[in-house]
Amino acid sequence: MPVDRQRVEQFLFREAQLMDEHRFDEWLALWSEPALYWVPSNRDDLDPAREVSLIYDDWVRLQLRIARLKSGFAHAQEPRSRMRRLISNIEIEEVGDGEIVTHSNFLLAELRRGKQDLFAGRTTHRLRAENDTFKLISKKVLLVNNDEPIDNLTFLI
Amino acid sequence: MLSRNGLDYESLVKEDRVHISLYTNPAIFTEEMDKIFHRGWVYVGHRGEIPHPGDFRLKRIGRQPVIMVRDQQGEVHLLLNRCRHRGATVCQREQGNARSFRCMYHGWTYLLNGDLSGVPAMDGYGEGFKREDLGLVKVPRVGEHRGFIFASLSPAGTTLDEHLGRAKEEIDLFAGMSNAQEVEVVSGIHKYSYQGNWKLAAENSMDGYHPSVVHASFAQALMDKITHVPTPEQQRVDRNFAAFRGNTKDLGNGHVMLDYRMRIYDPLNGDPAPEVKAVTPEGQARLNSLVQRFGADKAANMLREGGTHTFIFPNLILIGIQMRVLQPLSVDRTEVSLYPTLLKWLAPEVNAIRLRSHEAFFGSASFGGPDDSEIFERVQDGCAVELDPWQLMSRGLHRERREDGMIVGDLSDETTQRGIWRHWKKVMMQGEVATRSVRKRGAGAVAIKRG
Repeated sequence: MPVDRQRVEQFLFREAQLMDEHRFDEWLALWSEPALYWVPSNRDDLDPAREVSLIYDDWVRLQLRIARLKSGFAHAQEPRSRMRRLISNIEIEEVGDGEIVTHSNFLLAELRRGKQDLFAGRTTHRLRAENDTFKLISKKVLLVNNDEPIDNLTFLI
Repeated sequence: MLSRNGLDYESLVKEDRVHISLYTNPAIFTEEMDKIFHRGWVYVGHRGEIPHPGDFRLKRIGRQPVIMVRDQQGEVHLLLNRCRHRGATVCQREQGNARSFRCMYHGWTYLLNGDLSGVPAMDGYGEGFKREDLGLVKVPRVGEHRGFIFASLSPAGTTLDEHLGRAKEEIDLFAGMSNAQEVEVVSGIHKYSYQGNWKLAAENSMDGYHPSVVHASFAQALMDKITHVPTPEQQRVDRNFAAFRGNTKDLGNGHVMLDYRMRIYDPLNGDPAPEVKAVTPEGQARLNSLVQRFGADKAANMLREGGTHTFIFPNLILIGIQMRVLQPLSVDRTEVSLYPTLLKWLAPEVNAIRLRSHEAFFGSASFGGPDDSEIFERVQDGCAVELDPWQLMSRGLHRERREDGMIVGDLSDETTQRGIWRHWKKVMMQGEVATRSVRKRGAGAVAIKRG
C-alpha cells in the first residue's frame, strides 16, 4: 500500500501541536515500544554508548520524563514555555514491515519569562502504521545549536 | 550598595549571612576575576580531553582565552590565545588536532609548545627582533593531579599541592582510583548558562538542604519507576530525599563536599543494572580495592553513577561521573560545562550506564539540573530587593563539629556554603590595605586596586 503523504503530514503536525500545547498524555499516547527519543549533544552523529546526549530516553525513561513534567514541581517549566513550531521540508521513506521513516525540519519559537528563543533542527521519525494512523517508534532530533550552551530544554522538542 | 558598604568584605561576609551585593556588584566581580580567577589556582581541563599529540581544546582562565594543547612529546601546554604581533586569536576551533597555530592576520606561526616558528617577510624587522622572545605567552604556573590540570596566571603563590590539600583524596576517588591515562574525557560536553552570579552554582552544588524541594519532580519520577517497575533492587532504593543522610564537610581552602551514601541517578535506568566488571588486570585491581574499601554495593554504585560530591574552589565540581566547570561571564551571567567521564578499565556496558545515569539528572533537558538553574535565576531576581539585603547561611551553625581537623555538619547544613565564603573572604581581603585607601578617597569606592 503506497504511503499517503497527507496522513503522514497530519501525524507530524499533530505531534507538533501536542508538544506546543504541553498535552503530555496525548503526546505519550503517540508512542509505542520499543521507544527511543534521542537528542544528541555536541554533534549529530555519535555513539550513545560512549558519548553523552541531551536526551536518550528509552520506553521507561520516556514515561518518567512525562511523570516529572506532570508532577507540578518541574520548576524549569513554571511558568511553562509558550511555544509554536513550524514543520517543513518533509521527506518520506518506506522501509518495509509497515514502517516508514520521515525527515523534517522544524523551527520553534519558545517564550518564557520574557525571553523568546528560536530552536531549529531536523528530525527523523520512525513510524509504524497502525489502524488509520501511526505509532511513533523512534525520534531523533538534530538541533542546529546542539554544541552551544542551551539554557533550558525541558519542554518537548 | 558599594558606596554604603565600601569594599570592606568583613562587613559583607558574616559567619551566618552574606550580603546580596556580592552577587550583583560588577566591581566586586572584576575584583573576583583578578584575585580569585587570575591570581589563584583554577581548574582548566583534563589531560583526557586531549589524548593524542596535537590535540587541543580552547579554555578560559577567568576571562582570558587559553589553548590547552598536547605537543608531539605528550607534554601539555597552556598558551594564551593571542598573537604576539597584533593580537588576533590564533586558534578558532573549540577543539581539534593541529600541527601548529597560525595567525590569519599577518601569518605568524607558532609551534604546539608556543614557540614562534614563522614570520612572513622577516627582512622587515631589524636586528633587535628576537623570534625566541615572541612565542605565545605561556600561563605562568601549571600544575597537575591525576590528569586534572590547574593553572595560575600569577608567577608566585601557594603551590597546587597546598591549594588542593584534602580535596586531592576526592579527586582520586572520582577518578575511580585510576591514573591520568585511565580517565576518558571523550564523551562530549553538556553546556548551559544562566542569568545569575557564578557563586549561586557553587553554593547550590554543595547544598544538601534543597533536593527535596528543588528536585521534587525528580523524586516523583523515581517514585513512578519504583511503583511501576518494582524489582527487588529498586525496593532497596531510598524512596525519597527525606532519606538523604550524610554529612557536609569543609575540607579547607574553599573546598567543600557532601558525604553521603545513596543511589540517586542510576535507579532511572533499566533493570537489572549491568554487573560492574573490569576489562583489564589493572582495572580488576582498582575494582578490588574499591570493593575492599566501600563494599561491593557501594563500589558498584560509585562506578555506575559516580562516587563523590565535591566543590574544588573556585570553579571545579565533581558530581556523579562529571567534571563540572563554572565559567563566570559577568556578574549576573554564568556558563556551565559538564564533562562526563568514562573509565578505560570498565566494561563498555557499564560506561554506557554511566552516561545514562548522568543524562537522568544533568544537562539542559534532564530531570534535575534545569530546575537548579531556574532557582539561580529566581535568586538573582530576588537580589533586586534591597530592604534586608542578606542571604541567611546559618543553618546548622549550632551543631557543627570538628572531626579529623575538618568542620563537619549534617547533610542539610550550610557548613559547605560557609566554607566557600570563608575562603572567598580570605582571598578577596588580600591587598585589603590598598583597597581601603581607595575607599577613603571617597569617589574611588568602585575602583579596584591591586594589593
